[in-house]
Amino acid sequence: MGNCLSGDVAGGKQAIGGVQQRPTSTTTNNAAQNDAVDFFFRSRGQYPLFSQIELSLSASNLIDRDIASKSDPMAVMYLRKKDGKLEEIGRTEVILNSLNPKWIEKITVSFQFETVQTLVFHVFDVDTRYHNVPVKTLKLKEQDYLGEATCVLSEVMTKPNRSMTINLHGNVGAGVTRKLGTLSLQAEETIASKTVVEMNLRSVNLDNKDLFSKSDPFLRISRLVENSIVVPVCKTEVVDNNLNPIWKPVCLTMQQFGSKDTPLLIECLDFNTSGNHELIGRTEKSIAELERLCHQREAINFVYPSTSHGRNKVLKGQLIVDHFVEKVQYSFLDYISSGFELNFMVAVDFTASNGDPRTPSSLHYNDPSGRLNSYQKAIMEVGEVIQFYDSDRRFPAWGFGGRTADGHVSHAFNLNGASFGDEVVGVEGIMSAYSNALTNVPLAGPTLFSHVVDKAAHTASQSLSQNSPKYFVLLIITDGVLTDMAGTIDALVRASDLPLSVLIVGVGNTDFTQMEFLDADKGRRLESSTGRVATRDIVQFVPMKEVHSGQVSVVQALLEELPGQFLSYVRCRNINPVGAPAI
Amino acid sequence: MTYSTMKRSLDIELISAEGLKVDRKPVKRKTFCIVRIDQDIRFCKPDELGGSYPVWKEKIEMDMAMNGSVRFISIEVLYKTSGGADKNVGFAKIPVTDFMGGFAPQGHLNFLSYRLRDEYGDKSGIVNVSIMVKPDGNSLKYSSPSLAAPAEYGVCSSQAAAVNGQMWRPRTSSSMALTAGYGGRVVTGVPVWSAYSRSS
Repeated sequence: MGNCLSGDVAGGKQAIGGVQQRPTSTTTNNAAQNDAVDFFFRSRGQYPLFSQIELSLSASNLIDRDIASKSDPMAVMYLRKKDGKLEEIGRTEVILNSLNPKWIEKITVSFQFETVQTLVFHVFDVDTRYHNVPVKTLKLKEQDYLGEATCVLSEVMTKPNRSMTINLHGNVGAGVTRKLGTLSLQAEETIASKTVVEMNLRSVNLDNKDLFSKSDPFLRISRLVENSIVVPVCKTEVVDNNLNPIWKPVCLTMQQFGSKDTPLLIECLDFNTSGNHELIGRTEKSIAELERLCHQREAINFVYPSTSHGRNKVLKGQLIVDHFVEKVQYSFLDYISSGFELNFMVAVDFTASNGDPRTPSSLHYNDPSGRLNSYQKAIMEVGEVIQFYDSDRRFPAWGFGGRTADGHVSHAFNLNGASFGDEVVGVEGIMSAYSNALTNVPLAGPTLFSHVVDKAAHTASQSLSQNSPKYFVLLIITDGVLTDMAGTIDALVRASDLPLSVLIVGVGNTDFTQMEFLDADKGRRLESSTGRVATRDIVQFVPMKEVHSGQVSVVQALLEELPGQFLSYVRCRNINPVGAPAI
Repeated sequence: MTYSTMKRSLDIELISAEGLKVDRKPVKRKTFCIVRIDQDIRFCKPDELGGSYPVWKEKIEMDMAMNGSVRFISIEVLYKTSGGADKNVGFAKIPVTDFMGGFAPQGHLNFLSYRLRDEYGDKSGIVNVSIMVKPDGNSLKYSSPSLAAPAEYGVCSSQAAAVNGQMWRPRTSSSMALTAGYGGRVVTGVPVWSAYSRSS
C-alpha cells in the first residue's frame, strides 16, 4: 500500500525538464523522430507521412492511495499495436503529493495520418524512491495503480485547441467502482530545432512564506499556448531555506520554449512537502528579453497577482539572469553529412544450433531452387541499409563457431576464407563469401560473441589513434542461443567506451530473452565480471521474425538506437561535426 | 635504470555516482570521493545535495609511475557522519589496463564506470569517472598495442580481467607461451618501453 511518510521529498525537490542529462545516456521519451531512418527513406523519394506531436499531460481528482499523504502520480503512455499488445512510448516524471498533477515531461509520438493510433494511458502512484532515478527504470509492478484511459490520437488532433479531457477508469481493487478522476491531454507539433539555451538564474529579496524558517524557493517556467493555456516546461531544483537563492543552470531547447519571442511565464514558488506550493511571485518574459536582461545586467521584479480589481502588486523580490549562452546541438545527420564515416562489420553465426545445412529445416539451408534461407534474407535486407550508410562498401566479414581448415573451432574467422584481409565488397560480396564458407566450414560451436566483439573493438580503437572521425557498427547475425553470457558481457563492457555499436540480428524462432538482456533498454547497465560497468548501452537487438511479420520495418528496427548511441559518444567528448565551429 | 622513475600525468575527473547504499539502505548524507594511486591520495569536494546520486565533476591531475609497479587505481566513496568521522560507502579498483594500452590509446578520454563494493563485498553503488593519460611529447619507445593480433588481444584483456586486479596469474588452459612469472602476455597495461622488455 502507500507510504506512511510523505513520499520521496528529495525526489519532489529535484529539477525537471531543464537539466542536461548524463552525457553518456541516450534521450528517451521520443518514439517519433529518427534521423537515420528518415534520411534513408528520403533518399529514395519516400517522404514521411507523419508529423511529430508532443503531448502534455495533466490530471485532476486522482484518488489517494497513500496513507498519511497524497499520491505521487506518474503517467505512462502506451500505443496499442495490431495484435492488441501495449507498447510503452514514454513516461512523465513523478510529482510529489498531488491529486491534480500537471506534468512537465512531455511525451513525443508521431502522428500518422492514415492509421488509427490508439493511445492508452496508465496512471500510477509511485511509492518507491525516485530521487535522481531515471523514470524509465521505475518498475511499474511495484507502484500503485490509479487508473487508465484510452483515446485515439486523431481525435485529440481534431479538437479545438488540440486538447481533450478523458475519464480514468479501471479496477483499483476494493471491488467498488468509484470516480477515479480525469486525464487531460494537450497536443502540439514539435519544432525540429538545434538551438539550446543555457541560463544561470538567481533571485534576491524574496518574500518569506514559511512560518518558522525561510522560504524554500524554486522556479517553474511555463509556455503560454494559444493565449489561455499554460503548459509547464521546466522547473528548477528547490533551494532550502534561502531568500536569495542561486539555482543550477537551466538548459532549454527551442522545442521547449517555442521561439525566442514566445512569452514565458516564470513563477517563483515556495516548496511545501504537502504538495501545495505557495506562489511567491511571477513574471512574464520571453527568452529574448531574458537575454537582454543578462547582457545589460538588469533585474526584473516579481509581481504578485492581486485578487481585487487593482493592479498587481510589485514585489521587492527580483529575478536576475547571471549567464546566458545559446548553443547548437548537432543532430546525427549533421555529423554524417559533415564527413563522419560509418563503418559496418558483419559476423555470421556458424554454430551447429542452426541445423545441418543440407536439411531443409536448417537456417543455413542451401536451397537448390535458389530460394534464400533465413541468413541470406537477413543479409540482403540488412545489407540495403548498411550499404546506404557505409560509403566505401567494404565490410570486414567474419564467421564464428565454425571449424576452420586447421581443425580448430574459430570464433572469428574471415568469411572470405582468406588468411589475411577480412574485407568483402558490397552486399553481394558478403553473400558470396557466406555461400563459400558454408561449403568449406563445418558448423560447430559453442556460440560466443566475445571474439568478434573484441575484433570490432580493436578496429574501433585503432581508428582512435589515427584521429579520423569514424564510427563502427558490428552486425551479428545469429540464431540466438548464447553459450557464454558472461564472456559476451565482459567483451561488451570493454567496448562500451569506444565509437562502436553492436546490432544483433536474431534469425529463427528461438527465445531471444538473452539478447534482450544485452540490449539493456530498461536502464540497467551491463556489468562485467571484473566490476567494470558499461559506460553506455551499445547494443541494439532486432528479431527478424518481427520484421517478417510486418510489425516493424528492418530499417526502423536496425537504426532505432543507432543515432542515440552515436550521439552519446560524440556529445560527451564534445566532438563536433567535421569542420563545424566549436560550441 | 632510466625507466624506474618515469611517470605519466593523468587527468582524472570524478564525475558522479549512482545508487549508493550503506547497509542496503540508500545514502542520505553528503558524499565525497577519493582517488588513490599508490601512496598519493586526492579528495574531492562533497556533493552539496547529498543523497545516493551525487554529482562531483571534480578534475584532478595525478602522476602515475610507468614501471609496472602500479596495477590499479583505487576509488573510494565516503561520507562524513554527524560525529565527523569518515564512513566508507564502497570502493572500486580500476585496473590500469582499462585506460592504458588495450583499447585506449594515449590522449583518449576514457569514460569508465565501476561497481562499488563495501568492506563485506556487498554491492553498494556505481561510480562514474573519466581518465585521460596525457600524451607525451616523447613518443620514441611507445609502440602501439595494435601490433598484437586481435584474437589474442581479447584473450589478453580477459586474462587481466579474469582475476580481479591481479593481472599476472597465468591462464591454465592457455596455449600461449608462458613467460616466467608474467602469465603469458606482458602488454597488459604497461607500455612496451618499460623495464621488463629488457629483462632476461
